[in-house]
Amino acid sequence: MRSRSRTRITRTRWVRNACVGGGPCSPAPFELAALAPLPCCRRYIYSTQGTVQYVRPQAAAHTFFVHHRALLVERGCSVARKASTLNKGYWPFLVPGLILFIFIIILPLLMNIGISFTNWNGIRNPKFIGFENYIRLFQDKAFWASFRNNLAMIVAMTIVPTIVGLFLATFLFDYIARVFKRGKGITSFFRAGFYLPQILPVAIAGVVWGWILQPGTGVLNWLLDGLAKATNTTSLAHNWLGDASTALGTVMVIMIWFQIGYPLVIFMAGLQRVDPELLEAASIDGATWLQRFYYITIRIIQPEIFVVVLTTVIAALKVFGPIFVLTRGGPGNATLVPSYFAYQNFFGGTNRVGYGASIATIMTIIIVILTIVFIKMQSKENI
Amino acid sequence: MAFSIAACGGGAATQPTAVAPQPTTAAAAEPTAATAAEPTTAAAEPTAAATTGEGRVLRLWHYESPQGAMGAAWAEAIKQFEASHPGVKVEFEQKGFEQIRQTANMVLNSDQAPDVMEYNKGNATAGLLASQGLLTDMTDEATKRGWDKILSPSLQTTSLYDDKGVMGSGKWYGVTNYGEYVMVYYNKAMFEKYGVTVPTTFDEFEAAMDTFVKAGVTPLAVGGAEYPAQQIFYTLALSKANRDFVNAYELYQGDVDFKGPEFTYGAERLVDWVQKGYISKDATGMKAEDMGVAFENGTYPMMISGSWWYGRFMTEIKGFEWGTFLFPGNKLHPGSGGNLWVIPENSKNKDLAYDFIEITLKQDIQTILGNAGGVPINADVSKITDPKVKELIQNFDTVVKSDGLAFYPDWPVPGYYDTLVAGVQELLSGAKAPAEVLDEIAIPYKDNKDAMGS
Repeated sequence: MRSRSRTRITRTRWVRNACVGGGPCSPAPFELAALAPLPCCRRYIYSTQGTVQYVRPQAAAHTFFVHHRALLVERGCSVARKASTLNKGYWPFLVPGLILFIFIIILPLLMNIGISFTNWNGIRNPKFIGFENYIRLFQDKAFWASFRNNLAMIVAMTIVPTIVGLFLATFLFDYIARVFKRGKGITSFFRAGFYLPQILPVAIAGVVWGWILQPGTGVLNWLLDGLAKATNTTSLAHNWLGDASTALGTVMVIMIWFQIGYPLVIFMAGLQRVDPELLEAASIDGATWLQRFYYITIRIIQPEIFVVVLTTVIAALKVFGPIFVLTRGGPGNATLVPSYFAYQNFFGGTNRVGYGASIATIMTIIIVILTIVFIKMQSKENI
Repeated sequence: MAFSIAACGGGAATQPTAVAPQPTTAAAAEPTAATAAEPTTAAAEPTAAATTGEGRVLRLWHYESPQGAMGAAWAEAIKQFEASHPGVKVEFEQKGFEQIRQTANMVLNSDQAPDVMEYNKGNATAGLLASQGLLTDMTDEATKRGWDKILSPSLQTTSLYDDKGVMGSGKWYGVTNYGEYVMVYYNKAMFEKYGVTVPTTFDEFEAAMDTFVKAGVTPLAVGGAEYPAQQIFYTLALSKANRDFVNAYELYQGDVDFKGPEFTYGAERLVDWVQKGYISKDATGMKAEDMGVAFENGTYPMMISGSWWYGRFMTEIKGFEWGTFLFPGNKLHPGSGGNLWVIPENSKNKDLAYDFIEITLKQDIQTILGNAGGVPINADVSKITDPKVKELIQNFDTVVKSDGLAFYPDWPVPGYYDTLVAGVQELLSGAKAPAEVLDEIAIPYKDNKDAMGS
């Protein structure tokens, strides 16, 4: 039996010299109507003079862009298409992955959910206790503290790196690469440099940061003391990771260092898709760098931004390694995060495996919900 | 949890507690090393089963560093075992402390369990596994082979567990072959430079620290991010405590008032020490390893920590003379028998495991352990050559003879280690008042006791 699949058709093309409101136009206005719209087509035009414009599918000479060309993107609705014969018989290839997925993801996930309803010391005979773990969890100050710290991790691993990564990527791609004679080389060097922390094993990087920040003999305090001596000012040397008021901020700074490279590389790849002519056209029309960045660049690499935000938010919610290596959740509970809190219960000698499982279950639910929301948002976006 | 590799004398110092590994040394129990049990021959008397050892394998796991005192002694024990059990092969696997700590319950519940392994002592570890039926009851062998004579009663505490897994009474589920205790390490060169003599009373100790503070030197190296700080807190509490308090706290033999004079004094005095400058505020950011390294570098004149550093300091400190003394004025000191040899219930070679354990308790092996900076419990003291080690063993004997081993603060409650690290950090940083911290650390203790129904 032939299977049928539904596919959304997207096409992009350049349109030139559309004129505003059908006024006198030279050369002739571009007729959108002549473009034979796709079924339930939505059309957008990237211009340099405003946000992306939505164009009604049947609009005739809707114009808004002078002198040069603009990018027209049309997205049709999903339509049933006959399955290509090429797609026949791909199921067997999915079986190994599916088996691994069931045994490594699904089954342990279900077991974890099951364990979360028990009182179990990890050895024998879990005792079913219903929702007791969850009730206790919601009354647990440490649990809430860990979620508060998680929000800080989202700031440090998603919000700041995404924003900074966007500017850095654009700056390297759009400015350094063009302005300098050896711009491409410089760009590659910086891209690699920023990406390096992503390649380093987190344990090693964490230990090294621990040394740098060591209160008594660390390099950072040594530098700050030296600076203070040289300038006759009070030293800013501090017990960075050991003081509850600065530990979380310090970990956040380290996490920003860790994360910057990831959005940077993704965005720089995305920027390859931005047609230079488009930016050039905008320049000719008098758009500033910031306007080009805001109206063109960001919009074209929106899919990349979505991917980066989604993956880094999930990473921030799951963050474990850096906390484990740097502070173990301390001092007090100042840097405790849910994954480390769950770990403490699983392996910290508390023998409260059921409790640890309930923390892991809550984290999973939150992550799944966030992922669904993001993917829905992304699929609504027509870019 | 302490994460350093448990290795006395080898890697980072670890934590001596139910939650963290503690490699430490062996201590001479009373009968002190000097008077210890009659010397036995190096080779164990092979049991009947062992003599027909052709093709058999003894699977052995431990987590001591090969360079450490225990690692060196046990390597020799393996050789002797193979010599006395022809045809038996010892399959030794070096493990990490954390690896064992986190996976022992799963491994011992499977058919992958070794025949004999090192495991952490205390209610939350060996006690828990014993109560769940994962460890072999060695009572008969311990009596038959005279281990109960070699180990003094206070060293036996951590080898015996009752049905609930509470240490101190019941059956033999583990055997220790070394001891460990917390003491004050001091830098002789710095003492000399600032004209400080070894203090013998608590007041003298504080006066000595005042001298250093006046000279602009922080007297104590303290790792506040890991186990060392809680051991200082406990040591201070012990200065106001007696054996009944320890038995109530560690063995649940009575009620513990966290707002009572012992813990209140411990918490308040610790805060006082920070305010007086005896302990740096930076301590909260220092791990045990940082503390040890800082002492080795001569940054601090004193360090209050366990015998598990001893062997390492013997080999690594080259630049100055150092020594140790017992915490002045205290009768009770954090310390215990060392980690245990346990035999998993699923072991198919229990007879071989008993023979191996026996060899590790023999005098010549114990003497190797002592000479490498461990605290032996059955050494021939006349063969201990290093004066430092003699001092180490003598101090341990002093503690044992006065029934002064008070175990470790995190033992009574599973997972208490993290609670205490966090609480003591809050004391050191001044984030919370002593009373508030004591209330906090009382909660898990009470929960656990209620759960045990005791």
